[in-house]
Amino acid sequence: MGRTYLGEFEELVLLTVAILNGSAYGLNIAEELKQRTHRSINLSGVHIALYRLEEKGFVQSELGGATAARGGRRKRLFSITAYGKRTLDELRQVRNDLWEAIPNLSFL
Amino acid sequence: MPQPPHPLLPPAWADRLLKLFCPEALQEELLGDLHEQFEQQVAELGESTARRLYIGQVIRFCRPYFIARRLRTTSGSPYSSPFFLAPLMIRNYLKIALRIVRKDNTFTLINLVGLATGLAVALLIVQYVRFELSYEKANPLADRIVRLTMDYLNGGTVNAQDAETYNPIGPKAKREMNEVVNYTRAKPFSKRLTIQQGDTYSVVDKALAADSSFFSMFSYPLIRGTRNHIFTKPRQVVLTKTMALTYFKTLDVLGKTLKIFRPENSILLEVVGVMPDSPINTHLKFDMVFSYPTLLSDFNQKEDDWNGNNLYTYLQLADGVDYEKFTKSLSAFSDRLLQEKKITNERVIGQKIGDIHLYSHKTYEIEPNGEAQSVYFLLGVAFLVLLNAFVNYVNLTTAKALDRAKEVGMRKVIGSTLAQIRTQVFLETVLINGIAGILAVGLVAALQSVFVQVAGLPEGFTVFGDVFFWESLVAFLVVSSCVSGIYPAFVLSSFEPITVLKGNFSRSAKGTFLRKSLVIFQLTITLILLVQTFTVYRQVAFLRKQNLGLRMDHTLVVKAPIGNNSKQAYDAFRQMLLSQSQVKSIAYSGTVPGLESSQMGTSTGVNLSDAIKKTYYNYYLTPIDTSFIDLMGIRLLAGKNFDATTRPVDSDTTDRQLIVNEETLRLWEIPTPQEAIGRRVDLWGRQATIRGVVKNYHYESPKSAFIPIILLYSPHFSSFASVKFTGGNAEEHLATLKRVYEANFPHSPFRYFFLDSEYDKQYKADDRFQQVFGGLTVFAILIACLGLFGLATFTVSKRTKEIGIRKVIGASTTNLLVLLSKDFIRTVLVSILIGLPVTYFLVNNWLANYATRIELSWWLFAGPALLVFLLVLLSIGGKTIASALTNPINSLRSE
Repeated sequence: MGRTYLGEFEELVLLTVAILNGSAYGLNIAEELKQRTHRSINLSGVHIALYRLEEKGFVQSELGGATAARGGRRKRLFSITAYGKRTLDELRQVRNDLWEAIPNLSFL
Repeated sequence: MPQPPHPLLPPAWADRLLKLFCPEALQEELLGDLHEQFEQQVAELGESTARRLYIGQVIRFCRPYFIARRLRTTSGSPYSSPFFLAPLMIRNYLKIALRIVRKDNTFTLINLVGLATGLAVALLIVQYVRFELSYEKANPLADRIVRLTMDYLNGGTVNAQDAETYNPIGPKAKREMNEVVNYTRAKPFSKRLTIQQGDTYSVVDKALAADSSFFSMFSYPLIRGTRNHIFTKPRQVVLTKTMALTYFKTLDVLGKTLKIFRPENSILLEVVGVMPDSPINTHLKFDMVFSYPTLLSDFNQKEDDWNGNNLYTYLQLADGVDYEKFTKSLSAFSDRLLQEKKITNERVIGQKIGDIHLYSHKTYEIEPNGEAQSVYFLLGVAFLVLLNAFVNYVNLTTAKALDRAKEVGMRKVIGSTLAQIRTQVFLETVLINGIAGILAVGLVAALQSVFVQVAGLPEGFTVFGDVFFWESLVAFLVVSSCVSGIYPAFVLSSFEPITVLKGNFSRSAKGTFLRKSLVIFQLTITLILLVQTFTVYRQVAFLRKQNLGLRMDHTLVVKAPIGNNSKQAYDAFRQMLLSQSQVKSIAYSGTVPGLESSQMGTSTGVNLSDAIKKTYYNYYLTPIDTSFIDLMGIRLLAGKNFDATTRPVDSDTTDRQLIVNEETLRLWEIPTPQEAIGRRVDLWGRQATIRGVVKNYHYESPKSAFIPIILLYSPHFSSFASVKFTGGNAEEHLATLKRVYEANFPHSPFRYFFLDSEYDKQYKADDRFQQVFGGLTVFAILIACLGLFGLATFTVSKRTKEIGIRKVIGASTTNLLVLLSKDFIRTVLVSILIGLPVTYFLVNNWLANYATRIELSWWLFAGPALLVFLLVLLSIGGKTIASALTNPINSLRSE
């Protein structure tokens, strides 16, 4: 049984959740990603990625307390699960292996 | 904590859009994020840009992922209500519906029986109406084919309309009118041609002589042969498939010959084609069609004959011709004919062939036509029956709704949405309707053959092979589910949980009002139908009882032998018959009563020689012999009967003798029969003398008014011989007649009928109408009574305790009966009040179609009203009486 597939954007979001662990929610993830990747990030895309990650069990979420900002609406705060962390580690391992397998040739 | 000012909010409609598409559980966080982002963007980019970006963001949220999730609504809060059409819910609705249907047998049964009969009746009648309306529809050119007919005028008024026209009119119309691209003439030979094959003779039912364009104009393909270049020569014939198989046992008959037997000169017809059998829904039906030139070569038809109109003329209009324009140009054409002295006191009128079957009632129609009014009338009644069934359903379901109020209350408390409750109730209706639909198909199958017979539909008419039947079944079920399901669904779902669960929920006045109105509506319909049925029945019976001025008992009529036989042969036949012991008398005549008036010759403008002002009424002429008046029991009012010394009408005489009826005298304005004797009359350019006057008799059924009849003298057996027998066995009489006939005319087929039963056939249309109508009425009553029975059962069951307490306190059985039936009786009275004026109007209108009709008497209305009253009492009686007699112990002891 293969590992659950993780898309490139999903991986980015998962990493961001890991960075902002505990205080990650839709908007600040989007901003973080925008700053770091210089891509134009779509809020709805981030949300869908988050929900999918949650369905796959990579992140978990809970509703935060209400604040006066954003019309008194609560945030859904995401944090990475152990399974998510392990998956990231494995992914990283695979990449490292791949990098190391590249013959030492100069591309330039 | 200081509240940050919140003047700027994103567009509200965008939020609503988001709410529409996003799962409820996610809305809070999503909106929160969006609003937060909006605040930041307002600060960074200004309000208008922020708004624009906000809208863009929201629209990006309306993507399949969220919509699908919204529809699934599986995740999120475990207490949220599932979508009301979720498969899970539908399974639940069905389960509950089945339980409810099963739980209450009586109501389910009443609803099912009502809906199933209503549907079956409506389906059958719709099929019938569709058939009646389908005439000529199979012909793609039907819109452009017009039949020409003749109106006979008397001054400005039309006094007769004739479906047949002169033979040169068709070609002339094509030459002179731009709108006309083609014409065909069709001369009918109904049962007049005898085919001889070896020693067997058979009469052709429906033969036509037609121009070659007949096939293209009526869109009949040929199975064998080709439509081009046929019918240019005399003695060519095209057979229908059935006829080809009958005569030759094969379809490959091209070039074979068929012999039309005539004693003086038989004709050999060459078969040049085979066509499919005549459709059952065309007015111009046929078994064989032979070429028009045959008429000229063998039937004494003149090429340009303006003396007799004996054939049908059809025109084909050019594509896209405006019918109004054609009518104008036809009227100009008719005026030209008048100017050219081709016709006098006549006018040529066109009618679309699609209109012939239901709207044309001219003389000399090729077949008796239908009646648009009856057709639509039956359709209306069928819908009323169906409506009755809907009313039952709505009434019973809303009444039962009270029983289910608690259920609805509980559902709401647990968290049902309105949509879920409505769907629940609606699906029950759909289920009941579905079962009723299946039952209805069964009923239709059972009733079909009876219906085809009663409604006079052609044999082989079947409903199940018709896609339209299934389409209309589905359409009816959809309509029926909606009409009977939506209102109860709204009523049930409208209950307030607090009210119904507190326990003091009583019937609302509004609901009862509607139910009562619907019952009144049902009863009114029932009453109207009953009065109408009574009237139809009385009227037909009345017509039958009329003194016809004729005696037709024990009389057999035999048709004349083929060809011209000598006078001696006729006399021998007469003598031989009279020598039979059972034969009382025998009379030869041109026609006999009960046949269509078109069997008689007509002549317009027969006037007294000394008339100052000429009139152009249409007179019916027919030859009779000396014994006809006696045999038929016609009363001679003045003058003398024909006798042996009278010169026959076909002899070249200036002294024609006439016997006329009272109606003719009325038109000639002669006050008494005595004064008429000896008066001179202009007839066919010669003078004739009135010899006798007979009392009016009903040549046609008493439905129609008396027609002016002129009787002429002819001793020949040219058309019919009526033979009166002394009482006794009809079979024996028939055998005797057949033996004598065949002894005298060995080559002619023996064709006969009983005069009284033939005359009776004129009532066929009325009988049919009466039967169909009566049947519909029975169904309507049955359904209405079922509904009342259901309602009464329900009302009584709701009041069992009340009745018990009343009895304990001291109410008598009578008191209780009055109490329980008061409402129903009031309803009946209201519907009688509404129904009677309406039905009076309708019945009067219907009777206006008859020349001889019954007087409307009070009991014709009182009877049905009383009957409705009794039926209502009967429907509600059983349950009411039973509950009034129940021992209060039984109703009060259980809680």
